Amino acid sequence: MLTRLTLYLAYSIKTSELHHRSKAFFTDLLENPKSRRKSYFDLFMIILVMSSVSILIHEVKNESNLWSIYFENIVVTIFISEYLLRGWIHSDIHLVIIQHHENTKYLGQPFSLYKVIQQILKDKLSYIFSPSAIIDLLAILPSYRPLRILRVFLIFRLFKLLRYSQSIQMFTGILKSKQFELTTLAIFMGFLIFIASTAIYIFEHQSTGGQIATLYEAFYWAIVTISTVGYGDIVPVSTGGRLVTTALIISGLGVLAFFTSIIVAAFSEKMAEFQEDKVKATIEKSKDSIIVCGFGRVGQEIAQQLHENKKSFIVIDPNESYAALAIKKGYITLNDDASKNSTLLHAGINHGATTILCVTGNDVTNVYITLTGRYLNPNINIISRANRDSNVKKLYQAGANHIVQPFAIAGLLASEYIGQPVAFNAIHGILHQQKDGQIDALSIVENCFLDGLSIEQAQLMQYKVSLLGVISDDSSHAKRRNRYKLRNQHFYFNPEENFKLKAGDTLVLLGRQLSIEYLQSLIEKSHLSALKDAL
Amino acid sequence: MSNDYTAIFGYNSMSFELIAQLIKKRTKLIILDANPDKVALAQNNNLVAQQLDYRQDDDLIDLGIGSSIKVLFCFLEHDSENVFLTLSARSIDKDLKIISLVNHPESAEKLFAAGANKVIDPYEICSNKVYQLLTKPHLTWLLEQVVFGRADLNMAEITIPVDSILDKTSTQNLAIHEKYNLFLVGVVDKELGEKLYFSVGEQDHMLDVGDILVILGAHRDIKHFKQEIGVID
Repeated sequence: MLTRLTLYLAYSIKTSELHHRSKAFFTDLLENPKSRRKSYFDLFMIILVMSSVSILIHEVKNESNLWSIYFENIVVTIFISEYLLRGWIHSDIHLVIIQHHENTKYLGQPFSLYKVIQQILKDKLSYIFSPSAIIDLLAILPSYRPLRILRVFLIFRLFKLLRYSQSIQMFTGILKSKQFELTTLAIFMGFLIFIASTAIYIFEHQSTGGQIATLYEAFYWAIVTISTVGYGDIVPVSTGGRLVTTALIISGLGVLAFFTSIIVAAFSEKMAEFQEDKVKATIEKSKDSIIVCGFGRVGQEIAQQLHENKKSFIVIDPNESYAALAIKKGYITLNDDASKNSTLLHAGINHGATTILCVTGNDVTNVYITLTGRYLNPNINIISRANRDSNVKKLYQAGANHIVQPFAIAGLLASEYIGQPVAFNAIHGILHQQKDGQIDALSIVENCFLDGLSIEQAQLMQYKVSLLGVISDDSSHAKRRNRYKLRNQHFYFNPEENFKLKAGDTLVLLGRQLSIEYLQSLIEKSHLSALKDAL
Repeated sequence: MSNDYTAIFGYNSMSFELIAQLIKKRTKLIILDANPDKVALAQNNNLVAQQLDYRQDDDLIDLGIGSSIKVLFCFLEHDSENVFLTLSARSIDKDLKIISLVNHPESAEKLFAAGANKVIDPYEICSNKVYQLLTKPHLTWLLEQVVFGRADLNMAEITIPVDSILDKTSTQNLAIHEKYNLFLVGVVDKELGEKLYFSVGEQDHMLDVGDILVILGAHRDIKHFKQEIGVID
């Protein structure tokens, strides 16, 4: 009966949406180092700990007032609930039950409630005895007022801060990574202190004319001396005692140097790792980012433009000097091979990234990255560079959406220069987006002042721009002249005066950067004011 | 005109497209490369090619720089080579048209100083294009039509001939949109120098003989326009 009730409860918890959601929420809040919620929670807890400790310190000398008692109660309530919640999310009781049930069913053995409880207790005890949980528990104790001795545990409340600060966690991580060296050093030091305190006790005991009365004093003296602090409250007088002191000071210097070098080495080893983690964390947070594979001439130029226009992007280059250059410029950089699945996944191909640019100087690499990218994400936009004309087809086959051929454009431009140098200059200028004449596209948004006007009414010339054409998907224009197909829309070159502009159309304009930007701002403003009126 | 040659230094992936384009335009070409293998390759592709060390001025003169060669393309792989070639050619012929590729932006100034008429940076153009593809994909399509002339849209420049009907017309009265179904990109007004003024409604230009119009439009319309104003019969 009890078994069946347990099983029923376990399964109903497993299917419970509320349980699932709340557990996920608290895991996010307390444990997930990448979540924003946790960082707010950590900050809140740090403030809470600091203020509660200050109040308790204040009470050491002064009488406690009513408000501070209330505050202390609130703090302790939060601490206790945090402690319990952490215990709750540490392991899943219902999963243990279900697992055991399924196992026994499979093996044909009877379901034993005793074994399950044993397993659950083991899980939860592992939480209770974990160092951070012990600190949490001890941090709650000082609020038990009848026992003033528990005030000592106030220190543990400060230890609790360890949990909430990332840099302190980093430091403990470093210490942990050098556990072996530090243990060796500690054993050596313990040995040294033991020998020194015994020796000084023998040489400098009060019975032999020295200042040391007990073994504890000898130990205290050894510590003061080995750390090179040397208060001078106990001084050796015998020759033997002085010899011991000299030896201890010299070895103390060695021990200190050894200790410092261990910590420094650990830091420099771990630093690169931490930086990498930081890069990864930044990538995970970034949205609508562009992955730039290859940081050669083309990659650098693109990165520069993206940077200037405040777009989020990630540079990947296997070459260390290029990657170092990108890091120096402050770009988010992965020094890795972009044709590896793991690299593109790290760069966020499946979350956050919208486009991959394969712009290495090697067509084989570009094809391979394109293929990898397309395989990992069938919907991502891939723009690839092709140096040789013969590789264009392969890149399309590999899954590229757009292909850019630097040498082909250069060749075309150069050949244009012979016959039509002026037209060449115009094209060159437009391709480089010169400020005094560029072609730009502006979208007509809903209810902006151009929406519904004919081209004659729009009088675009007054904004010092000329209309080259309109991109529209409106089928009512189907009979017009100069219609060019453009994906699922049409481009109407040189449209007639009665051409009606509609929301969703795109104007293609020639003008100075200034006038195009001005017209864009006008469109946006009128759109916003129309929105306001509608509200 | 028939004896005018165009010389291309460097037979490599950078110059392939240029050569293809020039052949399409029926330009007389001569391809030069220091590497005999590449020369043989070019000859295999039915191109006029010759092995030549660009460092010898005498060889350049023998080739025809200063006489039959009117246009020189420096498509060698290193900027330093292109600068050297430009410098040598310019010292031989003051009127030669020299167009050079550049790999590093800082070399562009050096090439201009050496005497190049035009410097093309394929990487910069490429990165601009990639950036445009990212931000304005429609526009890239359009520019591609204009630059590559793949669809029917072309850019053309027209010098206003003597006794043209356009002589003494202002650009505003040109009515090129309505009458000829063309788009006026810009004007070189010889009275104001060689600068191209983009047609953005800023100022009115009085057209005279010798001024240049840069227009955009369908092939047929451009031809019609040329006939109308008397450039071709």
